[in-house]
Amino acid sequence: MMEAAKVLDAKGMACPMPVVKTKKAIDEIESGDILEVHATDKGAKSDLAAWAKSGGHELMEEAEEDDVLKFWIKKA
Amino acid sequence: MENNTRVAIIAANGGMFDAYKVFNIATAAAASDKEVGIFFTFEGLNLIHKEAYKNLPLPEGKEHFQEGFEKANVPSISELLGMAQEMGVKMIGCQMTMDVMNLEKDNFVDGIEVGGAASFIEFAKDADISLTF
Repeated sequence: MMEAAKVLDAKGMACPMPVVKTKKAIDEIESGDILEVHATDKGAKSDLAAWAKSGGHELMEEAEEDDVLKFWIKKA
Repeated sequence: MENNTRVAIIAANGGMFDAYKVFNIATAAAASDKEVGIFFTFEGLNLIHKEAYKNLPLPEGKEHFQEGFEKANVPSISELLGMAQEMGVKMIGCQMTMDVMNLEKDNFVDGIEVGGAASFIEFAKDADISLTF
């Protein structure tokens, strides 16, 4: 697993909160650091990918474990 | 990362569904580093009225969706409005509608601007995305 500078627990949150909370969390880490996001909103799969793209961040990896979607995003 | 994409939204309706459409798009856009402005006009003013926004009506016959909102853990309108304010979403209340409805700036949540159609057009003329709800 990738070394995350911060882990955001967005489980149980509905649209648009996973994206809003991810934005806040990424503001708190340094460029090049990795943010790990856990979400259960099924829409987060496409939303976080789109969000990362629009901010120039890199979605390094994603996984699904026990209905929890996990994302590793490298801050631009 | 900053980019200069601008999103201009007109909120012209005052129900709970309308509030979700407006604030979901606005907060998602602001979280994606877009510059967002919303013009609240006619019933849309309910969405930022100090009292009204806390108790927006569901469409007639659709009241049963209340349960769905709770079950899906959808954020409250208060929460979304707070997020929008925190992320710097520009909110313009329509002066003319406020005059018609006998409302003052004090009747609305903090941080709004009051202006007319021309204020919105000035903001919207450079918008990349324009939406009306």
